Amino acid sequence: MKGKLACAVLMAPFFVLLVTVFLIPTGTAIWLSFFAQDQPGLGFGPESTVFVGLRSYAAVLSDPTFRGGLLTVVLYCLIYIPIMVVAALALALLLDSGVAKLRGWAQMGLYLPHAVPGIIAALIWLYLYTPGLSPIIDLFAKGDIHLNFLGIHTVLPSIVNIALWSNLGYNMVIFYAALQAVPREVLEASVVDGAGPVKQAVRIKAPLVKGAIVTVGIFTLIWALQLFTEPVLLSQSTPMISARFSPSMYIYDAAFTRNNYGLAAAASVILLAFTIALSYGVTRWTNRKAA
Amino acid sequence: MRLSRRTLLAAGLTAPLAACSTPQRRGAGGPVEITFWSALRGSQQVVDAFNSSQNRIRVIFQQIPSGGQGGYAKLSNAARAGNAPDVATIEYPQVPGYAIDGVARDITDLVTDRLKQKLLPQALKLTTFDNRVFSVPLDIEPMVLHYRADMFEANGFQPPKTWDEFTDLARRVKAKFGNKKLVLFPTDGAMQFACWAWQAGAQWFDTGNGKWQVSLADAPTRKVAAYWQSLIDEDLVYRNASDSKQHDAQLGQDLILTRLSGAWDAGAQMRARPGQKGKWRIAPMPIWDEPVVGTHGGSTFAVTKDSRQPEAAMEFIEWQTTDPAALTARLKSGTSSQYPVAPGLVAAGAKAFPGEYYGGQDVYRLFQQEADKIRDGWVWGPRMTATQKVMQDGFAKAGAGEGTLVDAVREAQSGTMPDLKALGLSTEEVER
Repeated sequence: MKGKLACAVLMAPFFVLLVTVFLIPTGTAIWLSFFAQDQPGLGFGPESTVFVGLRSYAAVLSDPTFRGGLLTVVLYCLIYIPIMVVAALALALLLDSGVAKLRGWAQMGLYLPHAVPGIIAALIWLYLYTPGLSPIIDLFAKGDIHLNFLGIHTVLPSIVNIALWSNLGYNMVIFYAALQAVPREVLEASVVDGAGPVKQAVRIKAPLVKGAIVTVGIFTLIWALQLFTEPVLLSQSTPMISARFSPSMYIYDAAFTRNNYGLAAAASVILLAFTIALSYGVTRWTNRKAA
Repeated sequence: MRLSRRTLLAAGLTAPLAACSTPQRRGAGGPVEITFWSALRGSQQVVDAFNSSQNRIRVIFQQIPSGGQGGYAKLSNAARAGNAPDVATIEYPQVPGYAIDGVARDITDLVTDRLKQKLLPQALKLTTFDNRVFSVPLDIEPMVLHYRADMFEANGFQPPKTWDEFTDLARRVKAKFGNKKLVLFPTDGAMQFACWAWQAGAQWFDTGNGKWQVSLADAPTRKVAAYWQSLIDEDLVYRNASDSKQHDAQLGQDLILTRLSGAWDAGAQMRARPGQKGKWRIAPMPIWDEPVVGTHGGSTFAVTKDSRQPEAAMEFIEWQTTDPAALTARLKSGTSSQYPVAPGLVAAGAKAFPGEYYGGQDVYRLFQQEADKIRDGWVWGPRMTATQKVMQDGFAKAGAGEGTLVDAVREAQSGTMPDLKALGLSTEEVER
């Protein structure tokens, strides 16, 4: 009895927050997406709230700028997630192999960028990317190499770079922790069977931390689909990032530039559904492969 | 974000009630106080002149950032919270949007015949929708050609009268100086581009038969896009943002010979580059064949839905737009060259404008002659800020060699339609 009460008290804050900052806003967004304040004709008359069904959804899905934003984050995910997972895993395996000296320092050095808030990180990189400000661009310019980090084809890789810098260390720590749980006798057996360090890492250790890889993959995916802070800040320095660059930016623009709440709400619900569907798909796919 | 337009409506309904229940502040003996927001230069001087000209109304002025720099977001947010100023400054393209959102009040009944007669009808048409007036225009700004008279003279160039002559001149400039160009194609210049399209006879929006008819890529617009595309392809123009350090440098280092912008820009130039005094002159913008022009810039004053003193607000607006003292106060600040919508003020403007910067040229007479050539019938759309942004995204790409200007215009249309549909407006795309 006492245990149940303690359980309820300890769980309560979680559920209160879940309801107030997730379920209620989600419900409101869904409600808003089905209603609109309409005025007939040209729109200069008195407005009235009406149920519009899927009208806002149809508008979002027929908007090439929204579909373009969706395509941009899909492309971003395709570049970012594989690099992130492979690089974080490689670093974790390297640290785990004992080859690396000063392991503690290396871990801290790699983890430190993650402690920098995203907005500060983006500001630092904005400084490094902006022509006229950046010492790096100046340095290369002296050698007659002209870099443009914010050009039409380089801007997406530049954003990937910021995300990698911020999150590589964090994911590496997750993999490293998972590697600690690999049974030593399995590793010893592989050594006896003649596996060198590389073969051991690729063939034995990596498959054994598959669970961690899937988890990191899904979290990274969910995080990446909400791409917002970095492009918003970089957009101040380059016209190549439009106000509707990613779906999250589209939502912000719809609500605050276009004052179109129905559109913003519908786009939010679509992004949520897209994220859930993709996460579910990835989970199903990896489970099937395991079976 | 969760405050919907319903909340706005509720605020709009309660405001007049509140006004009824509280005694008029005028009754307390002091003057009526109204608030006024503007990003226009010289506004403080205008407000001071108004406040000292009478003692019934006291205007409290707040300088706000220009629309694109956050001024419009500030106004929208204030309206959402129910505390927009009594009088707000809105540029022409944004008037229909604020009228649809219910921020700009329907002031048809407050606009007196006396005021109407003093204003240029073409300008008032741009702020009238569905036979209802939503704001009072202050200035109308025909686009003109600002040119470097010193460099023109030294090289025997003449201000081009037509767009063909303009191209020829651009080629001569390129041939003569490898590093200089005649003009900039502004990648952030959807409003300049709109003006060129307006001049060529485009009709981006039309409100005939009770529907928003949209045709951003109509034949005249395609002609204008092809024209500038060829200047870009021949590398005859700079292509970067006009509101940028890069463009400041182009102007400051004598790398550019002309600017195409509204009459107001003459004053902005005086303020930004006092060192080039005497070097610039102004000519009419080049034409196709008909002697017509479009406008670039210009502002209007709206009474907002939150105003509790709409009559006092209108009195202030009427004074600002039609009293010679208002224009004189603004021009004396030395930073403005606005061309007034009230033709009766032109003489006062010509007198108050410090002409030395333009070597004594009678620029107001030129503005007057150009204002008479503004093509009639242009209509701005319901979400111009967004339309403009999408177009400029395309311009930036075209400037970098990806896609064309026509693509940019088409993208602006396809990126605007979903917005209009989601707002519940009757709308259709028409091919012209």
